Amino acid sequence: MMNEVTNSVVEALPQFQGYVYPNEANFHPVWSTLIVVYPYITGLVAGAFIMASLVRVFDVKALAPVYRLSMLTALAFLLCATLPLLCHLGHPERCYEIMMTPHMTSPMAIFGFVYAWYLMAVLLLELWFDYRQDFVKWSKTTAGFKGFLYRVLTLGVTDVSEKSVRLDMKMEWILSIVGIPSAFLLHGYVGFIFGSIKANPWWGNVLMPIMFILSAIVSGIALCVFNYIVLNWIRRRPLDMRCLDAMAMFLFYALVMDAVVEGLDVLHRGYAAEEGFAVLQTMIHEKLFYTLNIGQVGVGTLVPLLLLGLLQVLPRRVPEATRRVMIFCSGAMILLGVLMMRWNVVMGGQFFSKSFRGVMSYKMEFAGQEGWLISAVIMCLPFIILTVLVKLFLSERLQPCEHVLEKSSKA
Amino acid sequence: MHRFKLPPQILRLILVAMAIVGSYLVARSFLVPPSFGEYGWYRGDALKLIAARDPVFAGKQACDECHSDILHKLAKDAHKTLSCEGCHGVSREHCDNPDILPVKATGSHCIRCHEANLARPAWLKQIVVKDHYGPKCTECHLPHQPTQSP
Repeated sequence: MMNEVTNSVVEALPQFQGYVYPNEANFHPVWSTLIVVYPYITGLVAGAFIMASLVRVFDVKALAPVYRLSMLTALAFLLCATLPLLCHLGHPERCYEIMMTPHMTSPMAIFGFVYAWYLMAVLLLELWFDYRQDFVKWSKTTAGFKGFLYRVLTLGVTDVSEKSVRLDMKMEWILSIVGIPSAFLLHGYVGFIFGSIKANPWWGNVLMPIMFILSAIVSGIALCVFNYIVLNWIRRRPLDMRCLDAMAMFLFYALVMDAVVEGLDVLHRGYAAEEGFAVLQTMIHEKLFYTLNIGQVGVGTLVPLLLLGLLQVLPRRVPEATRRVMIFCSGAMILLGVLMMRWNVVMGGQFFSKSFRGVMSYKMEFAGQEGWLISAVIMCLPFIILTVLVKLFLSERLQPCEHVLEKSSKA
Repeated sequence: MHRFKLPPQILRLILVAMAIVGSYLVARSFLVPPSFGEYGWYRGDALKLIAARDPVFAGKQACDECHSDILHKLAKDAHKTLSCEGCHGVSREHCDNPDILPVKATGSHCIRCHEANLARPAWLKQIVVKDHYGPKCTECHLPHQPTQSP
């Protein structure tokens, strides 16, 4: 009996090289795929909203056809933004407790306030003001559950006089202006959570919130491009090439800025070569070689930069069909690249010992609480929600009110 | 004089916001446990619940009652400071009723301490398992008298 117990060498040993403190030689890092998905989703929300704000605040008329789709995309993803955290913590049924006893003593607790502000005070309000007249119109023309839903969503206000519509538009403009810093706050805050961990040289970096915001804008615009093309493909409708070209242009500019700031970060780290730089080099050359150099830099940045840059330099030489494919591929590659970037940030910070003299390994699980299956499910969920939202609020059968049509036609 | 009147949509939003805040406050009064905040940012009653749980470990002295011969050997060798239940598993129930066997601890007990790691002190004997002989530690080592061979 005793021998059986003593000899049950059943656990595979954690793989590590070099000097790793015993308490770091765990089987799994504390944070895994779920925590990779969390900043990815919040980034997509912030990016999609900023993309929509270009229409309202900066009056980029070419993007008007994609305004509502961007806002609904932001909403669908925002509704799922906290799910990875809840699943990671376990006991998601206790989530209401966070809201019942809120406090201000931890960065993660404050994210609850940031999230609530962004959802309740910015996104839902702006969407409501944008859709209010449509709700009034659709509630009169639609029967059944949908009609009832639109009636409820009017909140009982049926006034669609010119004065009232003007007020709605003014409110939308104000909310967009408040929304841009709020979107920056939402995702900059996620960057801050990592950037403020000063004991970890991979995370503790003042540029982190800025890099997070820029990569969020890039991924958000890429998601809008992806959704716009896929939606029109499903509906068998021609794409508005002016809108798509404008999105590609903003995507290119955002990607240039993102690449420059991330390059600046690498240069700064290289030149300063602070304590722990050697282990970071090991990360780049070995541990994160595929996800960082090939995934994030190659597939996610350089190839899209080349494709989108080509479209900026030779806009008329490239035929429309090729342009569509190039923009779609760039969007998809950027979405993949930004996911890799989140992986590199979250996992990279946990692959090396705090002694800076050893590295750990991690084998991703499939099922289980920290497996990639649950992360994949969480990533699919916003697309399912978006499908429902598009069916309800962007249906081809329901025509929007005149002011919305006017805005699009002017474009 | 023209009286200022709130636009209907703003008024409705204010009412909705008040309803949300009101229902939040009502929900809060029901859902926050009464003992919350008694000692700190947690439920005060949780301490009593934790204190009321039955301990699962028996302690070395309890083992000594029946297994004093093994403890005698253990006390003379390098593993003298180790707790019995660290390797054999929690044994409170076994102590009360010898028919119930100790809860087997899973995993490898030897390599938990003896797998080579630069961060461990040099005086602690360490091996690299994959380069070391065989799967059974006890073929060559006696856990209770690690300095002796079987």
